Amino acid sequence: MKLVAVTSCPTGIAHTYMAAEALENAAKKKGIALKVETQGSVGVENELTAEEIREAHAVIIAAGANVSKERFEGKAILEVEVAQAIKDAANIIERAMQLEKKDLAQQVETIKQERSAERTGFYKHLMSGVSFMLPLVVAGGLIIALSFVFGIEAFKEEGTLAAALMQIGGASAFGLMVPILAGYIAFSIADRPGLAPGLIGGSLAVQVGAGFLGGIIAGFIAGYTADFLKKTIRLPKSLEGLKPILLLPFLSSLFVGIMMIYVIGAPVKSISDALTGWLQNLSGTNAALLGAILGAMMAFDMGGPVNKAAYTFAVGLLGSNIFEPQAAVMAAGMTPPLGLALATVLFKNKFSTAEREAGKAAWVLGISFITEGAIPFAAADPIRVLPSIITGSAVAGALSMAFKATLRAPHGGIFVLPIPNAVGNLGGYIVAIAAGTMITALLLGILKKKID
Amino acid sequence: MKITDMLKKDLMLLELKAGSKEEVVGELVDALVKKGIVSNREGFVNAVMEREKMSSTGIGMGIAIPHGRSNAVSKPSIVFGKSTKGIDYQSLDGEPAYIFFLIAVPEDSNNEHLKVLSQLSRKLMHEDVREKLIASTNEAEVISAFQE
Repeated sequence: MKLVAVTSCPTGIAHTYMAAEALENAAKKKGIALKVETQGSVGVENELTAEEIREAHAVIIAAGANVSKERFEGKAILEVEVAQAIKDAANIIERAMQLEKKDLAQQVETIKQERSAERTGFYKHLMSGVSFMLPLVVAGGLIIALSFVFGIEAFKEEGTLAAALMQIGGASAFGLMVPILAGYIAFSIADRPGLAPGLIGGSLAVQVGAGFLGGIIAGFIAGYTADFLKKTIRLPKSLEGLKPILLLPFLSSLFVGIMMIYVIGAPVKSISDALTGWLQNLSGTNAALLGAILGAMMAFDMGGPVNKAAYTFAVGLLGSNIFEPQAAVMAAGMTPPLGLALATVLFKNKFSTAEREAGKAAWVLGISFITEGAIPFAAADPIRVLPSIITGSAVAGALSMAFKATLRAPHGGIFVLPIPNAVGNLGGYIVAIAAGTMITALLLGILKKKID
Repeated sequence: MKITDMLKKDLMLLELKAGSKEEVVGELVDALVKKGIVSNREGFVNAVMEREKMSSTGIGMGIAIPHGRSNAVSKPSIVFGKSTKGIDYQSLDGEPAYIFFLIAVPEDSNNEHLKVLSQLSRKLMHEDVREKLIASTNEAEVISAFQE
């Protein structure tokens, strides 16, 4: 088994090297191969290569100063104080050996958790709102699709099951989508006092026709207003109880409401209408171009902020009955892990044994639309992997848009394809995903070097 | 350049008088002041004590390596010190320290010196080197502990 370690300390004069030596000695005694990178006053010495990191069972980070963990994404990491490594190196080696080497699915889970913990500010609040909204979009999208089983116009006949399904999915589930988005953006900002003004602001965004853009704005106004009032209003102790139950909901909702109706509503409605109109009439080259851009964004950081921007854009449009970008975005989000999985089968000599093993899990992550499944491969060899997956995803997105494929559910990967009417132009959609997957794999085959 | 090139006999204090952490740092720095390597005694002592505040450089096993990087230092230097009675240095293992290496580095020191100092730190992690240092009675024996 192999281990890698990084040592570093505040002045970088002594402890960095003592810890390195102590760890090396301890590993030698146990007969374990260990390479230690030192980040000291001389700079980085004995630098770990991507290959060494990939092959390591675990990573030991002994650092008083900060060491960037980006390179080790998805690896089992043991973090200790640099002094501890000097004092008790043998024990640390032992603990690192006992860390479970994570398989791809576990690595991806860790990456997702770390990323969501790292989110801050604006992005964190937006993602919080989106995550609470998603179940509504799933439920609404799929139930509306079910109503189309009886014919596209069947729901117009009152008293039929088709009408009932439309009432559940459309009026109710989709009706709550924007209010919940706004409500939980505000909740993320101001905690409980944000929820009521957020829900009200979101509901108003729907009523004035400002759509999901208006909902996002309403959520932020509500959240920051509630947070501001919560911090600034001071009441005598005996009346303090009135603040959360009376003052905050009343004042913050009043402010958000007035803002939405008199200030924000009209301009955002016109932006929203213009966007919707443009997207509805989009066809041919322009459609393909939008698909390519959204697709490239999905692969660019595999679940990071750029990916989520494209994704949120597409999900928001579902509420405006525009389903093409959602299809493009999901296709493009599936092809990175799928393309990598295919490449590990087609070009066996370009992947390590561990990567070929991970390739099997990548199939599952890919068909489940978990783009993060590509991260461990990309982290190991970003210069070759990123261009391949970005190109593949851009192709998948462009073809999906060009074929006018539609998707009514915001997630689900391959598992939504058999649901009746969830996907429009199913054949074209499958072609788009397959083409993106193959292009990703072929580019990987061309760009990646053989492994000896 | 080797470790032995940086160990100077006139920067070795085989009979430290200090009884506390502050005193021993002061005593070691004084040796550099006397040689004109440290211009501003207080400035450098502060730099060393600042580093100690982050975590003690008493690494245990009877050894401490106070160190600092400061403009007050004119050239990279090592002061060796030995205390027979031992000094409480708030070491990692709670035991007193007997062997001291004060490492003084100017803000803009070159890599060659820093590399040698990193080698010294690595050497101290070896038990045979430490045993020789603790057993040493004169300057030549200190130097020979680092000879291959």
